[in-house]
Amino acid sequence: MLQVDRIAKDFGNVHAVREVSFSIPRGSTFGLLGPNGAGKTTTMRMILGILTPDAGTISWSGERIDGKSRRRFGYLPEERGLYGKMKVREQIAYFAQLHRLREPKLTPAVQGWMERLGLSEYADRPCAELSKGNQQKVQVACACVHEPEFLILDEPFSGLDPVNADTLLAVFNEMKRAGTTLVLSSHQMWQLESLCDRFCIIAGGVNRVEGSLTELRAAWPTRVLRVTPRSERLAHILDALPNTQPVPGAQSTLEYVVRADADYASILQSLVQADAVTGFEAVEPSLHEIYLHAIGEGAAA
Amino acid sequence: MTDFVTVYVAELTRRIKSRPFIIGLVIGAIGIFAFIQLPSLLGGAFGGNKQAIVVGDSALTTPAVPLLKGDFTIAATLAPTTVDIALLKAHHASSAIVLSRVGDRLHVAIFARDPGSVPRGEVRADLLPLQVQLAMHGSKSAVTSLLAIPVAIHPIDSKFSSSSQAQAVRGIAYTLIFFLYMLILLNSQLVMSAVAEEKTSRIAELLVASVDPIALLTGKIFAAATLALLQMAIWVGVGLVASMGAAGGADASPIALGGLFSGNLLSAWVLCAFVLFFICGFLQLSTLFAGVASLVNRTEDLGSLSAPLVLPVVGAFFLAISALGDPDAPWVVAASFVPIFSPFVMFARIAVSNVPVWQVAISLALNIAALIGIGILGGKLYRVGMLLYGRAPKFSQIWSVIRS
Repeated sequence: MLQVDRIAKDFGNVHAVREVSFSIPRGSTFGLLGPNGAGKTTTMRMILGILTPDAGTISWSGERIDGKSRRRFGYLPEERGLYGKMKVREQIAYFAQLHRLREPKLTPAVQGWMERLGLSEYADRPCAELSKGNQQKVQVACACVHEPEFLILDEPFSGLDPVNADTLLAVFNEMKRAGTTLVLSSHQMWQLESLCDRFCIIAGGVNRVEGSLTELRAAWPTRVLRVTPRSERLAHILDALPNTQPVPGAQSTLEYVVRADADYASILQSLVQADAVTGFEAVEPSLHEIYLHAIGEGAAA
Repeated sequence: MTDFVTVYVAELTRRIKSRPFIIGLVIGAIGIFAFIQLPSLLGGAFGGNKQAIVVGDSALTTPAVPLLKGDFTIAATLAPTTVDIALLKAHHASSAIVLSRVGDRLHVAIFARDPGSVPRGEVRADLLPLQVQLAMHGSKSAVTSLLAIPVAIHPIDSKFSSSSQAQAVRGIAYTLIFFLYMLILLNSQLVMSAVAEEKTSRIAELLVASVDPIALLTGKIFAAATLALLQMAIWVGVGLVASMGAAGGADASPIALGGLFSGNLLSAWVLCAFVLFFICGFLQLSTLFAGVASLVNRTEDLGSLSAPLVLPVVGAFFLAISALGDPDAPWVVAASFVPIFSPFVMFARIAVSNVPVWQVAISLALNIAALIGIGILGGKLYRVGMLLYGRAPKFSQIWSVIRS
């Protein structure tokens, strides 16, 4: 388990991270979310030991993270970079060697990751000659070639076309199934929603919310009640309910914001008695909505 | 240590295969070969044909020929005759030295294809004994012994047995200091460019996440040092081969590296000092350069940031050159203990004078201490600078990094 406990980091007068805490069980996939400048990258850098926290502690499997444990980590930074003149095969092999991968495991590992990411045909080409998407895949290979037990991916999908994004998503899912602990940061919420077990939303250098999507949804105070057809009799019933508010802009359905703990059975009963109901759904909040709400609270605070 | 070895091997392999290194190595080797071979090549092609014929009465030409042999190859000795181009061509000569006597005076007329190449002063000096002999009516041997004033030079506290040896060693030391300067500066700038490349290509973060930044920095610097030594060894090897060729081909080769050791011009101690001070100077400067390079966001900024570091090295180079003339001057002795300066100045002193071993030891110790300090300073800059993007850091920020 990775345990991040009240870490903080300042750069001069800038408080990049004020107090961030979370825990990531081994083998789980963790989404670290937040707006630009929230402190995500600084938090990741502290986990990796690139930066030292001014306060707080970080441990992996109960032990302080050092050079030895870091060699079992993988990292794909937000800022992409490669040795432009180095060939793809050499580049991946170099990073494998930096993580102490040696022959006879080295060559098959490099070959395997090139095949997995569709890079084999570019193996002997300098990285600078590759497209942006392929360069990003080379970087993913560099981060993963040593089969890390803990992998941090900062914005892994940014700038990728849908096909390449799906390729990476498939690879990360495979790693997840293989037991790799993953930490992802992305603004593509739908990709994280399908991949991550747990989330932490940080803004202004502090935690806003943390938990699984189920836990985050459970803590969400409202639901959107979606009813079809859009009839006046059904609307009349819903308007009469206490603590409800119509969702502006709904076209083909009736949509009302209701309290999460509303009595859905009795609402449905009232609706059925008033008119023919073909659809009744209490829509749970998306990760995107939870995110906007969480950082909005931060802004309000 | 393993990280260091991995980075070192990877850097070495990458750089040794790089086009700039190969091109630099080849061009340098060709340059050295040409520099050594040039005098003999040029001698043969342009100014080397000092083949001459001597024309005049045998009473004059017979004693004159041995006197002229030092500066000319005498193709023929002829009785008085008309000199023209056909005569020169017939004897494959470039000039004709015509001797005549008017009273007690010797008259010399030289007919040359290239009048500019005629060594007038040397001819005058060569024939001076003959002129004196004619004027004094004395015997040749008496005149020669009269003109030969014995001048003895007795070295005191000098490592050289003669002035010609001292001059030769100064020439060699000058060349070595120039080599030292070029090798340190060029290779340090290569390290600087490599660091800047990693910074600007944004690969730095991936690297420092994988390996300790200090191992990364030291691996890179030691790989560059190894390559510089390899480069130097190859160039010296080429120089030796070329000089042996030159020495075999022409007796008058001015540079004969093959004879440096046998002629006591270059000792193993001087070579050892060269390598030691190269390592000290290179490690100091390249670490500073790497630290500075880690602060830039654009390679265009490298020049302005590195200029303050290059200036002391240029100053040290000129100090060392002047130290060759006066190696025991107080300011030279003082500079030979100041890191950054001492790799050049102390080496210059070692090359041309007998520097006490304790002075060399103190200089080396100070250099090593400075290297440790520079390593800590450069390492701090590098560790922080590699992750600094955006606006160039202010001096106050750099200072706070150093102090932290």
